[in-house]
Amino acid sequence: MIRYYLTVSPVEALIASQLNPEAFGCYMAVGSRKGSAEQLIFVEVDGDCCDYFDWEFARERCVTHCDGRPKSSLYMSIYRVLEHVPLEHMLSMYLVTQDGRTLELNKSEYQAPSDWQGCALYKELCPATPLVASPLPPREFSHYLISDSDKVKVPAIVFADIRILGPDKLRDSGNVGTVSKLALDHIHDCIAQLTANPEKQVKTVDRSFANNFTYQTIATGIYASDSGGTVFYPMPDVDTLRRENYDWARSANII
Amino acid sequence: MTWLIIASIAAAVSLAAYNYVSVRRQDAGTDLMKEIASAIQEGADAFIRHEYRLILFVSVGIIILLCVLVSWSAAVAYGLGAFMSASAGWVGMKIAVIANVRVSNTARLTKDIGSTLKVAFKGGSVMGLCVGGFALLGLLIVYVVFGRLLGQLNPSHLEFHSNWLGISDIPFTMTVSGYALGCSIIAMFNRVGGGIYTKAADMGADLVGKTEAGIPEDDPRNPATIADNVGDNVGDVAGLGSDLLESFVGSLVSAVVLAIYTAFSSRDTATEISASLEDKLIMFPLLFAATGLLASVVAVLWLMMRRTSDRPHRELNLTTFMGAGITLVATGVLAGFVFKGEDVADIGFKAGALSPWISAVFGIAGGILIGHIAEYYTSYDYASTQRISAASIEGAALTITQGISVGMLSVFLPVVMLGGCIIAAHSVAGLYGVAMAAIGMLSFVTVTVSVDTYGPIADNAGGISEMAKLDPGVREITDRLDAVGNTTAAIGKGFAIGSAALATLSLFVSFLYAQAGSASRGGFDLMLNMVDPMTLVGGFVGGALPYLFSGILIQAVANAARKMVQEVRRQFKTDPGIMAGTSKPDYRNCVKISSAGALAEMKVPALISVLTPLAAGFIFGADFVGGLLIGATISSIMLALFSANSGGAWDNAKKFVEQGHYGGRGSDAHKAAVIGDTVGDPLKDTVGPSLDILIKIMAVVSLIAVSVFSKHNLFDFIFN
Repeated sequence: MIRYYLTVSPVEALIASQLNPEAFGCYMAVGSRKGSAEQLIFVEVDGDCCDYFDWEFARERCVTHCDGRPKSSLYMSIYRVLEHVPLEHMLSMYLVTQDGRTLELNKSEYQAPSDWQGCALYKELCPATPLVASPLPPREFSHYLISDSDKVKVPAIVFADIRILGPDKLRDSGNVGTVSKLALDHIHDCIAQLTANPEKQVKTVDRSFANNFTYQTIATGIYASDSGGTVFYPMPDVDTLRRENYDWARSANII
Repeated sequence: MTWLIIASIAAAVSLAAYNYVSVRRQDAGTDLMKEIASAIQEGADAFIRHEYRLILFVSVGIIILLCVLVSWSAAVAYGLGAFMSASAGWVGMKIAVIANVRVSNTARLTKDIGSTLKVAFKGGSVMGLCVGGFALLGLLIVYVVFGRLLGQLNPSHLEFHSNWLGISDIPFTMTVSGYALGCSIIAMFNRVGGGIYTKAADMGADLVGKTEAGIPEDDPRNPATIADNVGDNVGDVAGLGSDLLESFVGSLVSAVVLAIYTAFSSRDTATEISASLEDKLIMFPLLFAATGLLASVVAVLWLMMRRTSDRPHRELNLTTFMGAGITLVATGVLAGFVFKGEDVADIGFKAGALSPWISAVFGIAGGILIGHIAEYYTSYDYASTQRISAASIEGAALTITQGISVGMLSVFLPVVMLGGCIIAAHSVAGLYGVAMAAIGMLSFVTVTVSVDTYGPIADNAGGISEMAKLDPGVREITDRLDAVGNTTAAIGKGFAIGSAALATLSLFVSFLYAQAGSASRGGFDLMLNMVDPMTLVGGFVGGALPYLFSGILIQAVANAARKMVQEVRRQFKTDPGIMAGTSKPDYRNCVKISSAGALAEMKVPALISVLTPLAAGFIFGADFVGGLLIGATISSIMLALFSANSGGAWDNAKKFVEQGHYGGRGSDAHKAAVIGDTVGDPLKDTVGPSLDILIKIMAVVSLIAVSVFSKHNLFDFIFN
């Protein structure tokens, strides 16, 4: 059986594979020979979901090896892939740790944040990767970036909302990993600038935060948007992770 | 009153046997748990077998030397000491690898921290009871067989006698010193070998598995994880048991030998010690230790029989304080009973019959205070260690700098405390009081070893829970038990280092008596002329020796760890299935590498401790060795405190970050704290604990050989 995976981090690609999501995640994270250790986020997508990709090529080439091993990966497309995958054909999202453990996030309808604080920190995952602050809730933020209201725009976007740590909270931060690495004063300056200037919708905090993004930093979950709407992949809370995804949570340094 | 000693040994050994059987009878859990536990058992057994084979080889050499140069009785006593120490280490390790999986299974079945604590403590108590029981059993055999049956304690034999080489000594002092040396040699090999083993495995597992591959602690995909768990048993259990047995025996022997020399030097003086008082001075340390052992048995039984709460730290502290409390009261009564009616004012007992007891109380108080100072500097509940965690935000360099600062700061107060203890004990009961202070510190060693051994058992249980994929709740229980073990270990190290300083001082005084030989009869001024160039230079060299010894040890750990790192990397590279979880790592190879590394690297540091005083003595003479001992003792105590406390502080600073401070796991502060912990690992678990054995071996070897090299040395041969 061939499955199709849209990797959104660290590279944007559509990959066909005979592996299930867990095995694919492990293969992509730790490799098969050179012993790599790389964090990875991908979404499983329906086959034949659009005409843009060559599905026939995948069916021809993504076949079992002569020795019976399944085909691990066949790159179908790289660069500007996300914009061609309709949201309704996106299935579950998978967060893979650098040691190859996989957490499945189920897709759900967009929900407005219940405890909206008036400002948020968003880590864009695909197609660009900056860390930005915005006074807009997730759906409005993505619509702002997708719409024609700004010169800088993207056709589709995947992003996560990030925890904001108060400068006085560093000592008892919890396992937040690289959030603590951020220049907290700078973040709060950016937020203050947004508050002082209501016209401004997005403020770049860090142009490239790709190497520092870890799953510990995710606040509520990951969002995917295109011109048709927004879907949400909620992140389980720590207790749920401890109970149901203990190994993954340990590998992700969350517990 | 020999019956008291026999009763205490019987009670301790019986309870140890009962607890051994009782733990062994418990269910070991699922098939996977049994398989993991079996791999740990195999690794530990194989290492101990190889190590003991090597020790046997060295010991045979020492036995022949003792037999030829000193006496056959010293040689036999050496063999007995080595056997007792090796047995205690072996039994302790054996029960630890049996108990670990059963602790894990108890947590799995009961989900109750109190019940799990009991199984872990029962396992640890086997080691504690064996340390106390075996140490005293050996001494009792030496006392009864050589002292009484062969007459070495008859008044006519408590004189200097010449052997066939014309070397004179008091036979029983050589016999008991031989016993102490046997215990010390095993302790040195177990501590050094175990220390190298455990740190090589630990660093291999951490540096590649955790840091490079990003896999969590005790993950079964890590090839070094079984070796890491084996290391806990051979280093923290067998090493610790032999170490504290050696400390216990060292303090007892130092008091016995000192009593004999003091009595001898008082002959033909106005304050001559009577034969009956001399006998009591010799027996009192043994009776004191026996009383402490009985008190410890009661304390262990108390924890086993009562319903334990879910606060393990409180339970273990209560048990320790109970052991100490009963010991205090019972030994007070004992001292009054033993010295009642004796004229003790002439031998410097300022508080009458209770003088040696008061000195021992100073020792106990000093030990507890030193332990608590160590806890203050190493526990993350206090500012000192938290400052290292905070410094980690700025990077590894500041983590290291702050840790060095904490380690250095932590040396001063314990040394002042130790000095106060020596002065107080001396002012109440003279030098005998100083020896009694050392015995006081270790009088309830059975309880402290039980509590200390419980730590690695709980740690192993956590590892097994993780590898066997048990419920996260099980790991939480074992983690909580393990966290308590880290604190209690710091206190145990305080006792070991403090008692080593006091016992070495007593042995050093005996060395001066032995150096004077029969000339000390009729009064003798104990004096070490520090401005004599030989003594002074000896002091300098002695002061530098612990640094040489520690440097070789750290190099040994680095060499063994490097091989482990390469092996773990090789396995990950050659078998991708390991990370995918589809194939098993080759645990055995990592165990073999750690084992071979430790066995290859342990010989040089262990031999330094024996050969240095001999070489120095035969080249430069006794005055040089006197300086060497003083220099090495002072320097070792400082370095041991620094190593133990800085290493402990770095370890706990990392744990503090991992509890969710300064970004917690995965943060830059965590990465820096991990580096600090890695730097501190060989310091706290290899160097620190080995230094107190180093000074005792040097003191005992010097004491045994001084009568030889004070007459035959190269310097005298050339210049005189």
